[in-house]
This record gives sequence, C-alpha cells and structure tokens, in this order.
Amino acid sequence: MNQCYGCNTCKSADKPLEGFIRELPMETSHHRVEGQSTKCNFGLQGVCCRLCSNGPCRITPSAPRGICGASADTIVTRNFLRAVSSGSGCYIHVVENTALNLKNTAKIKGELKGLKALENLAQMFGIEEMDVYCKAEKVADAVLADLYKPEYEKMELVEKVAYAPRVKRWKELGVMPGGAKSEVFKGVVKCSTNLNSDPADMLVDCLRLGISTGIYGLTLTNLLNDVLLGEPQLRTAPVGLRVIDPDYINIMITGHQHTIFVDLQERLIKPEVIEKAKAVGAKGFRLVGCTCVGQDLQLRGSHYTEVFDGHAGNNYTSEAILATGAIDAVLSEFNCTLPGIEPICDELRIKQICLDDVAKKANAELMQFEFNKREEQSEEIIEKIIAAYQERRGQVPLNLFPEHGNNNTLTGVSEGSLKEFLGGSWKPLIDLIVAGEIKGIAGVVGCSSLTAGGHDVLTVELTKELIAKDIIVLTAGCSSGGIENCGLMTPEAAKFAGPKLRAVCEKLGIPPVLNFGPCLAIGRLEIVATEIAAELGVDLPQLPLVLSAAQWLEEQALADGCFGLALGLPLHLGLPPFVTGSKTAVKILTEDMKQLTGGHVIINANGKESADILEKIIMEKRFALQI
Amino acid sequence: MKHVIIGASAAGITAAKTIREIDAKAEIVMISTDAWVHSRCMLHKYLSYERDEMGLSFISEDFFDQYNIQWKKETKVTRIDAVGQKVELGDESNVAYDRLLIATGAASVIPPVGEFRTAGNVFGLRNLSDAQQIRSMAEKAQRILIVGSGLVGMDAAYAFLENGKEVTVAEMADRILPLQLDEKAGKAYQRLFEQAGCRFMLGKKATGTVSDASGNISKVILDDNTEIECDLVIVAAGVRPEVSCTEGSGIKADRFIEVDETMQTNYPYVYAAGDVTGISGIWPNAMKQGQVAAQNMCDIPTVYDDRYAMKNTMNFYGLLTLSLGRGVIEENDKVLISEDSKNYRRAILRNGKLDSILLQGTIDYSGIYQYLIKNEIDLEGKQEGIFNLSFKDFYGVKENGEYQFQIENAAFA
Amino acid sequence: MKRIVIDAKKCDGCKNCTVACMQAHRADEGTVYDLDLTDVANESRNRILVDSDGTYKPIFCRHCEQPECAMSCMSGALQKDPLSGLVLYQEEKCGSCFMCVMNCPYGVLKPDTKTRSKVIKCDFCQDAGGEPSCVKACPREAIYVEEGLG
Repeated sequence: MNQCYGCNTCKSADKPLEGFIRELPMETSHHRVEGQSTKCNFGLQGVCCRLCSNGPCRITPSAPRGICGASADTIVTRNFLRAVSSGSGCYIHVVENTALNLKNTAKIKGELKGLKALENLAQMFGIEEMDVYCKAEKVADAVLADLYKPEYEKMELVEKVAYAPRVKRWKELGVMPGGAKSEVFKGVVKCSTNLNSDPADMLVDCLRLGISTGIYGLTLTNLLNDVLLGEPQLRTAPVGLRVIDPDYINIMITGHQHTIFVDLQERLIKPEVIEKAKAVGAKGFRLVGCTCVGQDLQLRGSHYTEVFDGHAGNNYTSEAILATGAIDAVLSEFNCTLPGIEPICDELRIKQICLDDVAKKANAELMQFEFNKREEQSEEIIEKIIAAYQERRGQVPLNLFPEHGNNNTLTGVSEGSLKEFLGGSWKPLIDLIVAGEIKGIAGVVGCSSLTAGGHDVLTVELTKELIAKDIIVLTAGCSSGGIENCGLMTPEAAKFAGPKLRAVCEKLGIPPVLNFGPCLAIGRLEIVATEIAAELGVDLPQLPLVLSAAQWLEEQALADGCFGLALGLPLHLGLPPFVTGSKTAVKILTEDMKQLTGGHVIINANGKESADILEKIIMEKRFALQI
Repeated sequence: MKHVIIGASAAGITAAKTIREIDAKAEIVMISTDAWVHSRCMLHKYLSYERDEMGLSFISEDFFDQYNIQWKKETKVTRIDAVGQKVELGDESNVAYDRLLIATGAASVIPPVGEFRTAGNVFGLRNLSDAQQIRSMAEKAQRILIVGSGLVGMDAAYAFLENGKEVTVAEMADRILPLQLDEKAGKAYQRLFEQAGCRFMLGKKATGTVSDASGNISKVILDDNTEIECDLVIVAAGVRPEVSCTEGSGIKADRFIEVDETMQTNYPYVYAAGDVTGISGIWPNAMKQGQVAAQNMCDIPTVYDDRYAMKNTMNFYGLLTLSLGRGVIEENDKVLISEDSKNYRRAILRNGKLDSILLQGTIDYSGIYQYLIKNEIDLEGKQEGIFNLSFKDFYGVKENGEYQFQIENAAFA
Repeated sequence: MKRIVIDAKKCDGCKNCTVACMQAHRADEGTVYDLDLTDVANESRNRILVDSDGTYKPIFCRHCEQPECAMSCMSGALQKDPLSGLVLYQEEKCGSCFMCVMNCPYGVLKPDTKTRSKVIKCDFCQDAGGEPSCVKACPREAIYVEEGLG
C-alpha cells in the first residue's frame, strides 16, 4: 500500500497535474467528484423549490405544481434570478471595495501607478480636473455614487461606459439598471416566497443585473485596478507549480480584490522586510498567484517582478498548490477559496488569514482589511507569516513539482497593451479578420469546473478545436489558469492552430490564445469588442465574435453570462444552468433572446460539437458583414 | 411417463408447460378441438377485426416445438377408458396415457327460447370457432341482439359498436354487468355504451322468436312483448362445464368434474383443471389449477388453495373498473363510498374485514385489495382510509428480497 | 436470479430512482436535463411511499418466483423468462384487460395514465444493458442488485 489518498480522482486537461493530484496523500476536490456523481435529477433541471416550509417541492407528472401553485417555469426562473442576484452582488462587492480603496488612496495622495488609465476614466466620465488625486477621487466617487443609488434612479455611468448602440437597445428594452446594490437587493426580494411568479419578468431582471455586473463589476473594476496597480504590459512569464520557489516564504493569495494587496505588495520587497525573511532562513517573500487575483497579479506582473512568483494555477489547482508543502500562508479575500483547503492547511500547518469576511474560512484568522490600518495590518500579517514559516518549514515535507507548467506564457494582455502591440490601433487585427486570416474571435471565459468532462477538460478541448479553425481565442478567468498550464499560451502553441491563424501567430510571435487575466477582464473583452465594433460602424451582435463560459462554475459566472447576453453575443455553456425544467426559460434564453438583445444561449457539453456550432455562427456573422 | 391433456386453453397449456419444466423427458400429448390456441378473453378483439387468429394466441409461435409437446388439434375425445388408461378419438383411434388431464373448459348455454337452439344465426361466444362464424355472418348483419350483459356480452357489444353495427343488449337484471357492478358503476358504462349507439333492454327476458324462410331468426320477443328485429343473435347468458367426454367413463362428473384439492378426480391418474371443474371459472384460476394438476401429475404433491373467484377488471371507452367480491350489502356491514369527478369507489367491510370493493376510474396499484379480501385480513383501525391503503401499510421483505405482507406481528407469505 | 434488493431504512425519499426510471423509459430522445417532468406519458415503474411515521417505503417490482401477474395474463404478454428469472412484458401482445393489476398482491402495477391500454411494468432496464437505472441513481445505495437469489 502506498500513501495516496485515493485513485479515483476526476480527469484533468492538465495531465501532469492529474497525476500529481492522484498521488497526493490528502483528499482534494478532485477526489470528491466520484462520490458526488449521483446528482439529484430535480436539481439538475432546476425544478426543486425550497422557498417555504411547505417544501421542498419537486415537479413530477403527477405533481406538476408546487403546493403554492408555482409551475416549473416559476420555480426555475426564481432559482435562476436568485443565482444571478447573488452573482451580481459578488462583483458589486468587489467594485465597491476597489473604488473605496482608490478613493482612500487618492485622499492620502498615495501612489497611483496607472495615470493613463486614470485619464481614460476621467475622460469617459466627463471629469475635468488638473490634480491627479482630485481626479482619482472624483472618479471613485462617481462609481460609488452609482453603486449606492436607489433602484428608481438609473445609474449614470452606464451610458458613458457602454457602447452607444447597446445603450440604445437597452433603453428600448427597459433594462437600464438602477443602483447596482439596489438591483441585487431587488433581485433577492423578487424571487422570495410567493412574490414574483412571472418567468419573463424575472429573466428581464437578470439582463438588468447582467448589465450592472458587466459595466461596474467587470469593465470598471479593471480600469480602477489599473489606476492603483498599474496598467498591464506584455511579457512572458512562468506558470504552473514550477513557480513555487521553496527558498522563499511563499504566500498564496485567493480572491478578486487586487487593491487590498497594494500596501502588502510594496512592503514585502522592502529591505527591512527582506531582512526579516533572511533572519529565519528564507531569501525573501513571494506571492504565489491563484484564482482571479492571481491572474490580476500576473497581468500586472511587470510592475511586481520582485514579489510575484507567478500564477501557479486556477481555483481547482489551489489544493495541489498547497500540497507542494512550500506554501506558508494563504491570504484570502474572496472566491474561489475552497472550503476544502481548511483540512489541508491544518495538516500542512499553513497559516490562513482572511482579509474580507465574505471569504472567511473556518480556521482562518480574520483581519478585515481597513484602509486606514493597512500599514499596521501588513506588518502584522508579515509577522504572523514569518511565525508560520518557522513553525512549519522542515517539519512538513515538501512535495514540489518543478516540471509542471511552462516558462514562457504570454501575459499582460489588455485592451491597452494589445492595441499598443498592434501599433496603436485595432486596424491590423480588423484587417486580418476581414481578409479571413483570422476567421473570428472567441472569448473562452469564466471558471474552471470539475464536471463537464473533468477539470478544464471541456475548456481546453474547445479551445483547441477553435484555434484549429483559425479562430483566435481570448481568455479571462480561471479558464485562463487552466489553459495556460496546458501550454496553449506559449508562442509554440501556434502549432495547434489552423494554418492561417498559425501563420499570423508565428509572424507576430504570439500564441493563438491570449490571456486577458481574471474574470473581471471579461470587461476588457467588452472594451475590445466595443472599439472594434465602433471602427466597423456596427453593433456588437454583428461582430464575428462568440463567447463561451464552457465550464462556468458559480453564480458570478451566471451574472457574467447575463452580461454577455445583454451585449448581444452568442453564449456557449457546457452544462445547463439548472434551467432546463422550464420550457419557457429555455425558449427565452435560447431563442427569444435573439430578438431581444441579439444574443442567445447554446448548451453543449461536447468540445468538437460546440466548436462546430460556434464556427457556424461566426461564419453567419461574416456573411452578413460581407467579409 | 406419458401425459395426455385434453384441451389447450389456460389450464391445459399451463399444465403442459409446467410438466415440461419439471420433467424434460416426459412425453406430452395435447388433444383439443381448437384449430388455433387462443385466449378466450380476447374473442371480442377478433370480432372487431382488431386481431386475427394469430393475434389471439397467448403462447409463443414455437411453443409446441420449444416445449416438445405433441398437439393433436381439431380433434375431439369421444370416450375415456379410465381403467384401461386410454382415450378414444373421433376417428376411433386410441391414445394411451399414464396421466390424464381433462381441461375441456366450458360451453355456452343457449336457453330454450324460441328457435335459439336451432336457428342458423344464434351463437354463443366461447370459442374461436364461434367468433369465426359470428364474424363472417356479421359482415352482412346490421342489427345485432346480445342476450346477457355480463362481461362476454358487453365485450361483444363493444366489438360490434366499433364496427358500426346497431346493437341491442337484453338483460334480465335491472342494471348491466349485474354481478360485477352496482347501479351507479353500471350506469356509468351504460351511458358510455348508449353514447356509442347501444340500446339496452333492462329487466327484460327473451321469451320467443320469429324466424324467416331460411331458418334464421328475424325477431326476438321479450317478456313485455317488445319485439326486437335482428339479423344476428349472440347469447351470452352463461356457460356450463364441458363434461361430455367423461360420459360412461365412471369419472364423477355431474354438472362439473369433481376434483379434490390436488385436482385429482375420483380415478387415480385422472385430473381435471379449469372451467370444467366448476371451481372459480376465470382465467387466472384456470392457469393455477393447471399448474397444480401438472405438479401432482409429476408426483409433486401440491394443493390448489387460491379459489377466490369474485374478481373482475373491465375497460370500455377509457373507463376502467376493478370489482372484487359479491358486492352485496348485508346487515351490520360498513359501507364506505368515495366519489369525485374522476373516481367512484365503494367498499363493503364486514366484521372488520374487507368483503367487496369496487373501484371505477383509476385502478392504479389496486392489487393489494384482492390479497386483503382473499386472506381475510383484519383492517381494524385502517377502515376509514380503505381507499388510500397501499403495500406500505403491510410492508414486509423476505430474505430473498421478495415482498411479504406484514400483518401486525405476523408475516404472511 | 438477480433482484433489486431494497433496504428501506436507507431510503430518504429523494425520488431520484423515480426520475431515472422515467428517463430510461421515455419515448423520445434526450437526457435527464430535458425530460419533460410535466408529461403524464413519462411514468416510473417504481414509487416511493411515505409511511405514517415519516419513513419511506420503496415499492419496486420483485420479479417474483411465483409471479401472480404472469399467472393471470390471458394474452401471454407477461411471462417469467426461464433464463433470467425476470418477469417481462410484451406490450404488443397485451390485451389491456388489467387482470395483472388486479392480481399483483403488492399493488405494484398500474395501467398507463395516458392511454390506459398498457401496463407500467419494470423490465430491469433490459434495453439499457440489464443494469437498472434506478439502482445507479440512488445516492444512498438503498437499492442494489444481488445475484443468486431464489
């Protein structure tokens, strides 16, 4: 008998990682997939309702309505609205904190690394101010003011940030959102017991929440982050478990709120702090990237080369990262921070500190981030982590995997850095698309999940099929983490692309899959799409652009999905979002939506079939544009 | 060992199959007057052209080959020599036996009303040969009179109505299906049949007939002097066991062949099963009797104990009914009725036990009631919820996984 | 022969078995995602009853040694297969008389709701490789297949 916990782990697109996890002596999420493989069939369809004490009710042929009279349509759309509200709330929490951190930094005249981004925002918002700090504060205030508006006051920045033809359509549909937090509030109230039972009304609310999520939680958050943390710059970086260097005190970060780490990032490379590390036998401190905040760090890595090791992996790689034994502490401030890391951290004596109680882990110490106390908090965190390092290193065995990942993944791609790379305009890209050298653009975004074939299985398979069809793929989210660890974001990956795309990539020295960073960067993709559409003089639904959240995982992904639909894009999902029990919901999402926003949902769990469907859509759009 | 079985319907076929399953080497010979093995419960489907001769079979096409049984069809047994252990056939040849099973079923009773017994257009509906003659004659007949509104009569009525015939049903009782249904349940079917064009003469008896030149009955006269013009008459007024082959053999048979609980007659090695024994003349019981007889014929002593016969299901025009028990209310009986737009249910409880139950509408999962009635299960405390009873109320599981009824602390198999 | 053994104590009434059975026997193509749960033509061969004490009693066809249903069938539609021991139903032969419904002592059978012309009878998922879908769907392993039972 060996010491491995169990052999029945789920598949992963990342074969080396799959093997590594299979041999671990501790249980991970990958081990638990099999035991949970029997799914509740009612839950899969979304026709289980637990909103009142008469339940749980399920829909069956002999009981086609819940006790209150709710039909399958009502139950499904209530559940869906609840999920989208929750998901939207998550993003709005992130943008609220981000804007507050910018505001507070501006007030004390702290460092603003992204002045170009600030100028860009100020212009968009119509703020004229000479002093950068006043400008920054006003920008942050404008965002916050919108977030805090009541439901009956429409948010003002939507019109300034979003693409004009889209805004026009949204106004026609009556889906311009009120205050972001109020919209979430309303969504949660609306789907509670015996309130709304109009499926169409609830799905329209989901569109509204999607717009609010997309403009504020996605697009603006990226730009606000850029102001504080610096704009992304193209560079090649190592990725995977190889980035973990045991000679350093390693801190794994999880979450979405990069601005919480501003002070800590700077502090960790200060000489006096490095000395503290050396005093206990380490060369210094390093931050190991995981989840979206890790992607954000990777994105802006050019500004943080001293403190940032690299992005080790996505959410479902986090357990493997910890299992290397070389992580000394976990700092969490949002998702995905798996509950499953608790027993692993316990066993490996990894210190857990939680910086935002929304992501509190049972055995983590809560140090709720307070801007005014950030310096003391950073100091305290450093002390605690040093203590953890001393206690655990040498006691806990290392299980490194230096062969995992690769050394030359292209990162730092943003709407700004990519445009700059192309010479300051999108024309070269547009020309390539018009000429057919690039057939179209696919955004493969969102999460990593363990079903839909396994860990990143559908995501990677779909990506390979798409680039083989000369469709360039842009990624944002944990999908990025999985794809980059599989080597598809290195220049060598051009060999997996179709002949035309391969030629383009080799000529430009870029991979056929471009990593825009965290899921927040779906907002960056929206900017790219908007700018290209504006140049062509068309609306977004007319672009040869498709979106896939192939292995969408959580409720935020559903809110993102609603944004994609509001933008009028075809949205592919691997597994249905628990809506198939309602014929009305399926019809609205997959058919009627085309007349509403121009977008629609496609559900398909097969990578090849999905790529075929998406390619067909791109060809239809090309045909309509006569290119 | 040579087994001879007279009759190839429910009892005979089941017996033959059972013998073969017990003894791979025995010789089995079946002798029957039928040209085809057919289910007598489905003859109305033949009348309505829904099924043909082959479609009436309840055995697989290669049954006789598969089970290695010799079948002498369209053959009548005229005499049985119970001492010499042989049977004599119509062509005067003999078939010897070691074991004999008489499963000749029953024949229609044609009452001596007018020319019923001699006319060329009066038939019982018991065998495929009846159905074949009826169907052929029905091609030219338009007006059909059915005497007797029991299950056979109503099945026939349904078949003819489906074929667009004018059907009249005469019944002595004041309601249709009088043995199985009460007035309310009967009326529900009556209405459906009437909507389909059927005419009912209830509380009336046929007393005379008028024939035409060719010897066919053209009119039937009822006891209230109503005259019913008809081209074809189906008499569905009951059956009597077909015991004619036992004449002169010494086998005790009066109105039916007498058997003990092992299905043996007064002669050793001679058995009887099915309708010919007069015990519970319905298909499932005939099958069971055939099985028990066969086991005893193979020297495996078993008894036939499931004699419960008052049980019927019917299915006309989408309305289903299940009826168990005599349905007669006696003094001190508890009668429970449940009625809504979809169901009519009536239960008669006597001394805490279920005596009869009638379910019209939905008959889902109703199999437990037969068990409760047959085995006289005490339903004290459960009576009010009689219509909601299900096996969960008696849930027991045997070691091999089969169910068994758990009554209080005792278990029934 | 093999039989689905029931451990009623483990049943928690989730009815996954019921939906799995409907899915296995649906007339149209599709996955459990699009199984129409409001169509009465989708019927399960098993059912889970709630007892008065709140516990659950699974009612599944036992494919009995002495099957009362087959012993009452006048059309030959219900027969006990000598090799597998399963009591199988041939819909084409059925005469819709429902004597089997009347005779099953455990009340397992019913006419189909939609047309009332056939019987809803467990076939041990013969067309699905002989591995019952209900057993695969039970998250508690309250039902499982055991071989060699008499």
